[in-house]
Amino acid sequence: MNILDIRGLTKKFGDFVAVDNMSLTIREGEIFGFLGANGAGKSTTINMISSLLRPTSGEIRILEKDIAKQSRFAKTNLGIVPQDLAIYEDMTAYENVSFFAGLYGLRGDKLKERAEEALEFVGLSDKAKSFPKNFSGGMKRRLNIACAIAHKPKLIIMDEPTVGIDPQSRNYILTSVRKLNESGCTIIYTSHYMEEVEEICSRIAIVDHGKIIAEGTKEQLKSTITDVKDIRIELKSVQGTEGELLKPVPGVRTVLQEENVIRVHSDAAVDNLNRILKQLMDAGKEIRSVEEQEPNLETVFLTLTGRNLRD
Amino acid sequence: MNILSIAIKEMKHDFRDRRTLLFMLGFPIVLMLILGLALTNAFSSEISVGDVKVAVKDATGGGPLSEAFAGFAKEVGKTGVTFEPLKPGANGREEVENNHVSGYVELTNQGISLYGSSRDAIESNIVQGMLASFTDKYNAAAAVARIEPAKTEMVLATGGSDYIRELSVDANRTPGSVDYYALAMTVMVGMWAAMGAGALIQGEVLRGTAVRLVIAPIRKSEIFVGKMLGGIISNLLCVMVIILFSKYVFKAYWGHHMGVVIAVLVSEVVMAMSLGLAGSYLLKGTASRGVISLVVQLMSFFGGAYFPILDDEGGGLMGFLVNLSPIRWANHGLTQVIYADNVSAAWPVLMLNIGFAALFLGVSILAMRRREGL
Ligand SMILES: Nc1ncnc2c1ncn2[C@@H]1O[C@H](COP(=O)(O)OP(=O)(O)O)[C@@H](O)[C@H]1O
Ligand SMILES: [Mg+2]
Repeated sequence: MNILDIRGLTKKFGDFVAVDNMSLTIREGEIFGFLGANGAGKSTTINMISSLLRPTSGEIRILEKDIAKQSRFAKTNLGIVPQDLAIYEDMTAYENVSFFAGLYGLRGDKLKERAEEALEFVGLSDKAKSFPKNFSGGMKRRLNIACAIAHKPKLIIMDEPTVGIDPQSRNYILTSVRKLNESGCTIIYTSHYMEEVEEICSRIAIVDHGKIIAEGTKEQLKSTITDVKDIRIELKSVQGTEGELLKPVPGVRTVLQEENVIRVHSDAAVDNLNRILKQLMDAGKEIRSVEEQEPNLETVFLTLTGRNLRD
Repeated sequence: MNILSIAIKEMKHDFRDRRTLLFMLGFPIVLMLILGLALTNAFSSEISVGDVKVAVKDATGGGPLSEAFAGFAKEVGKTGVTFEPLKPGANGREEVENNHVSGYVELTNQGISLYGSSRDAIESNIVQGMLASFTDKYNAAAAVARIEPAKTEMVLATGGSDYIRELSVDANRTPGSVDYYALAMTVMVGMWAAMGAGALIQGEVLRGTAVRLVIAPIRKSEIFVGKMLGGIISNLLCVMVIILFSKYVFKAYWGHHMGVVIAVLVSEVVMAMSLGLAGSYLLKGTASRGVISLVVQLMSFFGGAYFPILDDEGGGLMGFLVNLSPIRWANHGLTQVIYADNVSAAWPVLMLNIGFAALFLGVSILAMRRREGL
């Protein structure tokens, strides 16, 4: 069954088109990655799915029911982890989870059980009676997740749940996403961190300027860019002028710099490695290592948009 | 059920915010103490209400009103409030202004008018209260007279003993400054509900939790009503604490109609909440909180929270501002309820509060419906 069906979805803010005629289908049981740079329109899409925003046009179905017509049904089956923390600092972790779960019709012992279960799930059982104002960023993010899952929704949408947290909490969250999926939840995972999406998602959509520009499994996405090679050159030091230096080399498409590494995307069909290295050596650059990388999602993104995901 | 759990959550915020709570309760209590002591002289604490003297000019040339009033004056006179005919050639309003009498009553064929002393605000209120109940009864009697002339006497006769009962309660009561400030501070704190209400929706938006409330399978109206209910209960509890504190610690006088007093305060809190809510919808952004808090401060000031505002019907800008303040309406009405046992004085205040509450709520609901999200 399709858990989510989006048809021709558009959202305009004045003249600005944040989501542009988007269509998407997600089946039950997937971990679906929604990958895009900041401002691509991911949150706006999610806000329409969760009925926080009214679409300018288009249709959204959850479990094959139109959310505009059966909003209660849609809402009951949906759990949202908002991009910005949405918790009460002056209520304990338990009170937060139990208050929000209560809005989904859970009462009494059942409510207590589910709230405790959700806290257990995100590893905050021992903090149930503590106030979030004393929590670390990662703990708050985990509580933010607990508040979205206690009512056992069929579809959970996480909007950048790992922004600005320590690696330990990030791993914890990624592990819990997998566990949630194993327990039968469908998950839409939004991020601009490609490694995360690559690590956990079974299918991925790349969003840019409000449009889905590519969609498929990791392998499918990577296989679309067989015509590009990704050369990683480590230098002793990088001046920032290497891009200009390499632009004239035939086949070179883009040059990116990450610390003292430059990454060159080039037509796979053009044999230009010698020219590239010569160009660098003639300019007096000291080369430490050279390797040709497997294409990853970043390469895909770069090839499709001409921009780096992190820009 | 959702409404209840949202209301309870709202009260948790209110009562866990120690600093605001301390301010809500501490400020009025301290002020009651300081102003109550410092301004004792501003009140006629030496003169008992029994000494009230009122000048009367009867311009009706006899007739039923004149007769009825004479009977009323006689009954009331037994308790010490004396109605004396205005000396020939004297000007009643000047008599009042020169403090020779506490009030001046004019009977004409159009009805009764009263000029109160601006110095003895409380005495004036008492006289006004007595006259109000007299006119109520007279009007009733007049209505009866039109249908069954024989029964008129009866209505007026029972009226007489009522004034006496009312006055016997109050005649030796001396409203002091603590009494004044107990009432004034309580009414002011009731109005403060507007400030909390201004942050009611915005607070959720700032915390990001508005998102969770809106995506939950509940109606917007449930969120709205739950939050209002929680706020109203929290504010009423504060109001009750101040009443009890003033009553039992400062021994302030609250009269014999606590139920009516509380009903007026409930209506005031509901009106204040609605005002704050409408304000936060109409004046978007964080600026609305500042504006609402300024408005409440002005209402407190002009409404007599910090010093007694006298019964100066003379008009002018001050008079105009004073009468705009809901704190003023409530203070005025409740003074009559408490000191003159004039329960009917509560009605106009209740009506005004409920009317404005309905207006502000209507505005808020319209604004809320239009919005995406909360
Ligand atoms: N309420 C709004 N009013 C105007 N523009 C908005 C609003 N919300 C988002 N946008 C714009 O829409 C675009 C997409 O935003 P968003 O969906 O938050 O992106 P993402 O979540 O992918 O980072 C951005 O350019 C943003 O500035
Ligand atoms: Mg976003």
